[in-house]
Amino acid sequence: MHETTWGLPVVLYLFMAGLGAGALTTSASVLLRGGPTGKYFDVARYGAFIAPIPVMLGSALLVFELGSFQAGHWFRFLNLYLVINMSPMSIGTWLLSAFLGVSILYAYTFLSRDAAPGDSKEKLRRMTAWVGIPLGIGVAVYTGVLLGALPARPFWNSPILALLFLLSSLSTGIASIILVRAIMHRRQLNDAAEANYHESGYILSTTDTLLIGLELMTIFLFLMYAHLTIGHTRDAVGVIMFGGELSIMFWFWVIAIGLLIPAGIELAVIIPRMIHQGKYLSHRYIDIIVPVTVLIGGFMLRYVVLIAGQITFPIGL
Amino acid sequence: MNILNTKKPSSRREFIKAVSTASVALASTALSPSAIAKAIEHKPRYGMLIDTRRCVGCHACSISCRAENNVPEAHHRSWVEYTEKGTFPDATLHFLPRLCNQCSTPQCTSVCPTNATYIRDDGIVVIDPEICIGCKYCIQACPYDARFINPETGAADKCDFCVDRLAVGMEPACVASCFNRARIFGDLNDPNSEISRMIAKNAVTVLRPEMGTKPNVFYIGIDYADEHDVRFPNQHIRVTTHRDDNKRR
Repeated sequence: MHETTWGLPVVLYLFMAGLGAGALTTSASVLLRGGPTGKYFDVARYGAFIAPIPVMLGSALLVFELGSFQAGHWFRFLNLYLVINMSPMSIGTWLLSAFLGVSILYAYTFLSRDAAPGDSKEKLRRMTAWVGIPLGIGVAVYTGVLLGALPARPFWNSPILALLFLLSSLSTGIASIILVRAIMHRRQLNDAAEANYHESGYILSTTDTLLIGLELMTIFLFLMYAHLTIGHTRDAVGVIMFGGELSIMFWFWVIAIGLLIPAGIELAVIIPRMIHQGKYLSHRYIDIIVPVTVLIGGFMLRYVVLIAGQITFPIGL
Repeated sequence: MNILNTKKPSSRREFIKAVSTASVALASTALSPSAIAKAIEHKPRYGMLIDTRRCVGCHACSISCRAENNVPEAHHRSWVEYTEKGTFPDATLHFLPRLCNQCSTPQCTSVCPTNATYIRDDGIVVIDPEICIGCKYCIQACPYDARFINPETGAADKCDFCVDRLAVGMEPACVASCFNRARIFGDLNDPNSEISRMIAKNAVTVLRPEMGTKPNVFYIGIDYADEHDVRFPNQHIRVTTHRDDNKRR
């Protein structure tokens, strides 16, 4: 680990906030797309329960990491709530707080054991879902804007970084839902419920594959534009290119483990249905291996980006 | 004058001050409109000019800064970088004293989520350690690596041109201790100040102008060479600092 201003707690925070935001956005959007019959209700339910937890843990890590907290001024971070300004961190604080409130309220509507589509909390559930989607996307984008706003950090100072973090957030959010779903799943007695489980698994896997493809495209554009320029950005992005200090971290953990392997496995299981109209069956081990690699990739992406930004500087004085 | 103004600028205070200054000016200059306008408008804007040709790398500035501001160990508000260039007999050692550039359009203030760091009326960028939460965002934003977290207060810390000394009419510690007069401190808004006259008649530069920060610390005679400029095998260039990580950032 390099000696850096922002270390592991911030890496974890960026990863966990993205994961939670992605889980809520996925959950709320499948709930709203499922219509009044509640086609994807179970998926939405898993996502709703996952969403607030990593965001809360990540925010707590961030508070513990503050200089004021470590110097013993434990509640000084509340100063964040005295101001609204154009700093990405200030906007992010408010977004994150709103996100926490909405995601907890949303999870609450699913809390009852017999929560079902059209029950007494349906109205609140739909309202919080509508608010939750833009908030989730906002939180995911802000984690990238936070880093992208600094000309003094040429590696981060790219508008495409926020998009990359958004795609990675959505992808890790979906992965977390697939993972929890696969672990918690018990064979259903009723055939319709069992078919529904596989159907929603298909939707999740295809969406995740699409997101991974977009992520690869975004990374390609990020690297290509950095490589085709001269000066600060090219020099900074050199640390993740071949021969750079973080190249193995990036190419092995982020690209190979985090993107190519899950994309390959997912393609292998969805192609039979996509092309040959075959049957799609969610397989428990695949539904565990794929999300785990996606989550590792999402974490390593935040790690590489955060460290690379801090060990590179503008060249010259 | 504004030198005593250590609080955040408030428009009411400004107005009262302007009115009182104007009335004093009125009484003394017997209704000369240009004199009144001048008295109202003149605000100092502090800056520093460092003539690196006069710097011998003695570290009097680093040490006096440390003593004056109780800078915690392992951190530096003011430091010196050395550029070794060439091989004997064609070799040189060049010194570059560094400090916060007190930018006119700083990155650090615009990313601060609590408004704890701000530009005073006199152009000095300061931090209120009571408000700062220590999020380190300003440290990331500074292209000059001038900031650090003070472990005692938990807040961001950096050079502030020794505002406490300015308040009692003294020069910053580094300027006062520079025996070779490599540092000139003064009011950039006053065309007759020594610093304004030196800037007018010398070729001056600032650090990393491409960052758009408009620094108020000017330099004469910097050697910008660093490791990135090594182009052929026998060319020796090495930049070091006396800071712990020993590297220029």
